[in-house]
Formats: sequence, C-alpha cells, structure tokens
Amino acid sequence: MIQLKNLGFRYSGAERLALDGIDLTVEDGAFLGLIGSSGAGKSTLCYALSGIVPHHYRGDFYGEARIEGMDSAEHRPEELSRVLGCVFQDIDGQMVASVVEDEILFGLENFGVPRDEIEGRVTQALAAAGISELRGRLISELSGGQRQKVAIAAITALRPKIIVLDEPTGELDPRSSRRVFETLKELNEKHGVTIIVVEQKIMLLCEFAKRLAVMEEGRLILEGEVPAVLQSAGRLEAAGVNIPRVTTLARALREEGLYGGKLPLNLDEGEAMMREVLRPC
Amino acid sequence: MKGILDYVPGSSFLHRLNPLVKLLLAFVLCAACFVTGNHFIVLGVIALNLALALSAGILGRALRMLRSLLKLSALLFLVQIFFVREGATLLALPLGICITDLGLSFSLLFVLRLLAAALPLGLMLSVTQTSDIPNVLVRRLGLPYQYAFVLGTAIRFIPLFAQEMAGIMEAQTARGVEFDTGNFFKKVALLLPLCAPLLVSSVRRIEGGAISAELRGFYLRGRKSGYKDYPFALRDLCALLGGACALALAVLF
Ligand SMILES: Nc1ncnc2c1ncn2[C@@H]1O[C@H](COP(=O)(O)OP(=O)(O)O)[C@@H](O)[C@H]1O
Ligand SMILES: [Mg+2]
Repeated sequence: MIQLKNLGFRYSGAERLALDGIDLTVEDGAFLGLIGSSGAGKSTLCYALSGIVPHHYRGDFYGEARIEGMDSAEHRPEELSRVLGCVFQDIDGQMVASVVEDEILFGLENFGVPRDEIEGRVTQALAAAGISELRGRLISELSGGQRQKVAIAAITALRPKIIVLDEPTGELDPRSSRRVFETLKELNEKHGVTIIVVEQKIMLLCEFAKRLAVMEEGRLILEGEVPAVLQSAGRLEAAGVNIPRVTTLARALREEGLYGGKLPLNLDEGEAMMREVLRPC
Repeated sequence: MKGILDYVPGSSFLHRLNPLVKLLLAFVLCAACFVTGNHFIVLGVIALNLALALSAGILGRALRMLRSLLKLSALLFLVQIFFVREGATLLALPLGICITDLGLSFSLLFVLRLLAAALPLGLMLSVTQTSDIPNVLVRRLGLPYQYAFVLGTAIRFIPLFAQEMAGIMEAQTARGVEFDTGNFFKKVALLLPLCAPLLVSSVRRIEGGAISAELRGFYLRGRKSGYKDYPFALRDLCALLGGACALALAVLF
C-alpha cells in the first residue's frame, strides 16, 4: 500500500512547488492512471514514490510518503525498489547494458536472486513483454517501442509488488501501446501487482485503469473511480487534460437533455449510448 | 549503423572462447609483433589474423580494417623512409635526401607492425560482446564490480556519443551549416560549439543511467552476484597454447 500525506517538493532553485500537498492512498492491487498536462508534476510524483525525491534531487521536501509502510525519507531508494519498481520517461537514459539479456540480468544479479531462479525469471519477463526473440540483440539496434518493452521487462523480472510507469507508451504506435497495457493488466490481475501509470492516451487509460488521479500544477485535484472522475469533465478540461471524445459527446447530449444514462468510456459503450439516444426516432 | 569495431554475433571457435582468453590472445599477438625484428614473422601474424577472421566469418571486416589502416601506414612509411640515414644508399634524391636499405627495411617493419598489432585488437572487439569484458574481469580476476561497470559504461557510450553527435550535426545541417568543408580548421571551428549540447545531453543521460542503476540495486552488488560464469574450456587452453607458440617463435627469430 502507498500512503502519501501532505507530500510536497520544490526542486532547489525552482520558484514553484513541483508537488503541492498531495494526499493519496493507493491500495494493494490497484490499477491507477495518473493524468495531467505537462509540467503538472506527474514525473516528480513518480520520483517521490521511488525515493529519488528526496534522495537524489535536492530541494525542499515536506510531508510523508510511505511505501509498504517504509518512510521514503528514511529508506534508501534501492530498499524501496525491492517493493516498488519504476520505468521512467526517458527510456534510453535508464539502460545500463548494451545487450537486452544483460539489461534484464542487471537488477536480478544486484539483488542477489538465486542463480537457479534467474534463468526462469529472465525468460518469463521477456515473454510477458512479448520480446523473447530480442534476448541476444543489441539495445542500440532496437526501435523505440522495443526499448520501451525492454525497460518494462527489466523491472517486471524483479517482481516488485508495485510498478510505476511514467508515460510507457510515449514512443509507441497504437497497437504496441495497447499491448503494453495488456501486459500491465495481466500483471495486475494474475499476479496482483499494483500498477500506477502516467499516460497521455486517455482513451487507453480509461479502458484499463480502475481509478484515475488528476494533477494540476503540483496538486492532486481529482481522484476516484474512472467514471466518477470523468463526470467532472469541465474540471478536467480546465486542468488541460483531454477526455475521451465519446465522453465529451455524452456530456453534450446530456446538456441537450437527450441522454441520461451512464457516461460511456470506450467505443462500445459509446455505441450503446447512441443506440439508446437514437431509439425513439 | 554498424561501426567497424561493433560486435558481430556468431558461434565460431573465436566467438566461443572465454573473453579473458580472447583479450590475452590479442595482447600476445600484439606483443609478438613488437618483440620480433623479422618481417616474415610479422607478416605471419597478419596472415594468422586474417585466417582467424576467416574462421570467425569476419574476413571482410578484417580486410576493411586493413584498408583503412593502409592510408595512415603509407604516410608513416614515407616519413620514416626519408629520415633513416644509416645503411647503404639505394636511391639518392636532390636536397641531400636519400633512401637507404636499412631505412627501407626499418620503415617496412614499422608499418607491418602497426598493421599486425591493430588487427588483433579490432578482431577481438568484433567477436566479444562489450558487456563480457567487464563481466569476466569481475568474475575471473576479481576486479571490483563498480570499476568494471564504469569501464563497461564508457565502452557503451562511445557509439551513443557518435550517434548523438551525428544527430546534432544533422540538425545543424538542416539549419544551413555546411560541415562538408575541405578545410580542417574550419570544420573544427564548426564542430566546437556542438560540444556544449553534446555534453548537456550526455550528462543528462548519465544521470538517468545512474538513477536507474541505483534503483536496481547497483550498490548492493558483490563479486559473487554475477550470473554468467565464464568457465574455461579445452578450446581456451588450445588458444592459449597457440598464442604462446606464436610468441615463442617471435622471441626466437
Ligand atoms: N530536475 C528538475 N529541476 C528543476 N525543476 C524541475 C526538474 N524536473 C522538473 N522540474 C519542474 O517541476 C515541475 C513538474 O515537472 P514534471 O514532474 O516533470 O511534470 P510532468 O511529468 O507532469 O510533465 C515543472 O515545473 C518542471 O519545470
Ligand atoms: Mg513527465
């Protein structure tokens, strides 16, 4: 479980708070989507969850972040990372090896995973990310999407209880993006891994995430079940977050008094809505 | 884009040698060229290198290495040959410059040595995965992992730098800067300002790598943590014996 209490952070030299009084609890097994316009503090929140803030980046830190009961200010990032794994936004920057296999092995070796267990973990992590055939390849020769998956596999191999991903589909085409989310869903449902994911592709996020958290200028302005958060579409638009078009359409229909049902979140539900709206004609 | 020193995957005898043995073999072959004064031994080393390259399926690359070294060698050869004054004069040129038999022999040896010594290192890098070098130094020689990691990262960053530099140059070219100038100094003057963005992006990247390494338990690692074992096999012994023979021949003749 993650508990953030009045969490705040200001990068040294910056005028504005990057995180401003964040209160958030993430239960075990959650699938939380984090949205907000750029500069809202999403990446900084990921840093705070992994302990990089305040251990790596200097600045004013206040409040409290507890990861599985561990206070992030007291425990080193590598201790936290045994339970919480992070895939950051800059994929190339976080690679430590030149060959895919070595990238996956790196964390396993460091954390002292028993030798007879390592092979199985590598195979499984690669298979789960759908990149088994890339095992012996040079990372520098992979496409952006493939690298993205390598970074994810390197974390899943460590089997953390919680995985945080910062815009993991940033460089991916729609199909690969969906596949990444399917991988996350499987980790979440089959293995009970808690997933927190920052994502701009709102449609995709609404389909997979169970809850949404919305950030604006360092503050957490909304948090709750996906449909509930989307109800406040006006608030979201003000925060610079785009919302699914079907949802916008539903809102417009509601305002015209043409529709009173539940908000559609994906195309299927949108179709159902349109059938209902068009039935009287 | 593949550089001339990048790893070429394969499963030949050379590929499967223990990385430490490959390293050693390369140095032994280099050393052999320098202890001998015999042109034929040095030629032999070059031939041996080409044979090894053939067996590893990278003969084409070895020849390309030779070709790219040839230009430099020709230049060095010309410089050398005019400077040695001892020995019988073979050809007297105006201005008191002459070519002597000793000079010819010495310059030839010098250039052959250069070729013969560069080849094994190039070949070694071509058949060894970069990560294997630091790994084996940790597992087999007890080098502290942190040093090996720095070494490995440095090796890994060379092509990344090149890539980044090419990217920056492309961006500048798109803005109308012409790098294809024949004037060396002008080119340097154009490239110098690019070092700043290169440095910034590199520092950012190194910082990202450091954070990610730390999060994945970098500081927890001990010598025993390595997964790959790099055991020595019979073929390693054979290769070492072969290297020893070459060195012995070089010392004797
Ligand atoms: N290393 C840093 N040093 C100083 N300020 C930073 C740094 N990283 C981010 N910031 C600032 O913190 C704020 C939040 O940034 P960030 O967390 O990256 O937002 P997001 O990921 O939502 O786009 C921004 O105003 C940004 O300029
Ligand atoms: Mg960000």
